[in-house]
Amino acid sequence: MGRPSNVKPARTGTSRRDFFKRSGSAAVAITAVPMLGFGSDASAAAANAVFQHGVASGDPLADRVILWTRASPIGTRSATVVDYVVATDPALSVVVAKGSTKTNVLRDFTVKVDVAGLQPNTTYYYRFTADGAQSPTGRTKTLPVGAARQLRMAVVSCSNFAYGYFNVYQRIAERADLDMVVHLGDYIYEYATGQYGNVRPCEPANEIVTLADYRARHAQYKRDENSQAMHRQHPLVAIWDDHETANNAWIGGAQNHTPATEGAWAARVAAALQAYYEWMPTRVVDASMPRRNERSYAYGNLVDLIMLEQRVSGRSEQLDTNIGSASGYFTQTGAYADPVRQLLGADQETWLFSKLRSSTAKWKFLGQGVMFAQLKVAAAPNAAGGGVFLNSDQWDGYQPARNRVYEVLKGSAGQAPVGNVVVLTGDIHSSWAADLTPDPNNPNPATGGYDPSTGEGSLAVEFVGTSVSSPGVNDPNSTVANSLKPANPHFKYIDLFRRGYMLIDADASRCVCEWWHIDTVASLSNIETFAVAYEVRDGSNRLAPSVQTPSRMNPPVLAP
Amino acid sequence: MTHLIFARTVATLGIACAALGTHAADFSLSGNLGFNTDVAKVTFRLDADATNVNVWTDSWLAGANFDPTAAVWAKVGTGYALLAEVDDDDTVGAGQGAFDAGLRFASLAAGEYLVTIAAAPNYANGPLLQAGFAFDGTAPIALAAWMQPSANPNFPDQKGGFWNVNLTNVSSIAPVPEPSTWAMLGAGLLISAALTRRGRRALR
Repeated sequence: MGRPSNVKPARTGTSRRDFFKRSGSAAVAITAVPMLGFGSDASAAAANAVFQHGVASGDPLADRVILWTRASPIGTRSATVVDYVVATDPALSVVVAKGSTKTNVLRDFTVKVDVAGLQPNTTYYYRFTADGAQSPTGRTKTLPVGAARQLRMAVVSCSNFAYGYFNVYQRIAERADLDMVVHLGDYIYEYATGQYGNVRPCEPANEIVTLADYRARHAQYKRDENSQAMHRQHPLVAIWDDHETANNAWIGGAQNHTPATEGAWAARVAAALQAYYEWMPTRVVDASMPRRNERSYAYGNLVDLIMLEQRVSGRSEQLDTNIGSASGYFTQTGAYADPVRQLLGADQETWLFSKLRSSTAKWKFLGQGVMFAQLKVAAAPNAAGGGVFLNSDQWDGYQPARNRVYEVLKGSAGQAPVGNVVVLTGDIHSSWAADLTPDPNNPNPATGGYDPSTGEGSLAVEFVGTSVSSPGVNDPNSTVANSLKPANPHFKYIDLFRRGYMLIDADASRCVCEWWHIDTVASLSNIETFAVAYEVRDGSNRLAPSVQTPSRMNPPVLAP
Repeated sequence: MTHLIFARTVATLGIACAALGTHAADFSLSGNLGFNTDVAKVTFRLDADATNVNVWTDSWLAGANFDPTAAVWAKVGTGYALLAEVDDDDTVGAGQGAFDAGLRFASLAAGEYLVTIAAAPNYANGPLLQAGFAFDGTAPIALAAWMQPSANPNFPDQKGGFWNVNLTNVSSIAPVPEPSTWAMLGAGLLISAALTRRGRRALR
């Protein structure tokens, strides 16, 4: 019979698993050539080559979490088998889940596994294997269910590789007692080398427009060692802001998008979001509508973390003003008063209001991109026109939409008021703490105004975090910051000068925000400084001075 | 349901081989898997010892169809013994995509062989075909409703059941209908026969 004489038996591994690991890769099982045998040095080098973009985790739920890596291909291969293991100890000896998946060139060799069946409120360690190489070991954590005593997390935004080093990420990586990290957007920037920051050159050197461009830019960011450290230690909950697509994006275009030379906006958004979902440890909300990215996380019954999409799913075009354009200052008249203009879009607005009204959690966090509080250059109560505003890209440019949110907070039309709302914001490369009130320059709370000395009239609070590396205002002595305060009495803290992050510590009695600032992004540095802390107490809906919170005792050990 | 496409795609090669006293040629065969547990089978024959026998799929089509795994088996007695199994190799033939399967045999002895096509990771259980496949005994899931482990995690794909396998330098090929196909074929014949009888009655 036709028994070939030149073919060796297929099964040469010690187990079925070994057999399939061979057959599963591009190698043919019958090959007489031994598998790549990495020695210890070679193994490390191979790990660096295959897993040069590190590991990450994100979008934790009570029973699952996304694990991410990229298995860079060896040679010209177009598909790779990737194994993963999840354990409760950093040595990966107490394994609770393992499996095998694949990736390929059409996904840019990125790997995303939604590992289910995990226990709530539990720290896990994980690792990937591909082509005989092992990834670094990552650490992640699931959300609690029911009674949760405390949430402790870092909040970041605006990480511009070109503008400097991610010292902020390294400081966060060193904190072992965090439950998660929230990134409020501008995780990458789209500009060309030297166009917005010249500490480090961009890859590619051009402004990113195509899918290949966006992938290459994400890859560069993921090769940053400080970014890798942060991702390796903590699960990330991220939303995009505008620079993941292009500056001042809206549903139909962007300030930094030129259709005549850069093609259709829809194609650019599609490319940007495909690369985003490939390269971020983020769970797709709706595969049929990639622009949708709003989602919520129940941190037990302590916090509902509601993350919003404010750029490409429903935002109306910004009106013709922006920061730095003195002639562009505006009042709430004309198109600014048009209730049809949207920041979230009608569908997301409905979803948000339902979430807020139905939440039974102690705190409702809104993770979102642009400042919710009014920012005026000239003060006036609403009855006198409301004054003069300067940034039409933030909620000030969408006041009717903002007022609809205030109506939900106040309670109306038979709906109960919604309290204990904390807005978390990025975008503007500076640190702010605000009482949120619809009429901050009306000193009479009885007529819907706000008393800046007591906070009466405040309906919620907002913590705005500064950037990881993007530039602020050269205002070391707070001259500019102080000049803003008279027209904006609802801001209790403003720092326009420093880079850093926010540390949120919430329990049933209060939610504290600490602002931490670093000394420089021009070079690697490990200096950080506690700047200030404000808190909101249960039921008060207004800011109060606070103090630095204690670190948790005996946190789970960091990943090696 | 299997539909067949026979094609002698490289006639000149066939002629060249004929001059050497063989009748090797290239073939393609396609069909559809309905469920994740399905295994398509195609036999091929070598009338003489052959060189450069390649077997590959080109039906993944960037995720339009399931991620296939392919195995080639040699007939031994009344059974088949595994020669090689591969999940992904798109370097074997034209038209392949990243998750297509491909196998190369520099030389194969004359005889009878079998190609199996399954949805990864429904791999063979061992070196003998009678040992079956990994998903045997599990509840079948329609491919259209199945999240294949290798599917795109962001935008789930690989829902189609179409497969196409190509072979080079073999003498002949033939599909091995699934039991269900035999049953459908049998049922079809019965219906056809019944209609024919009824028709005859109507004509009287």
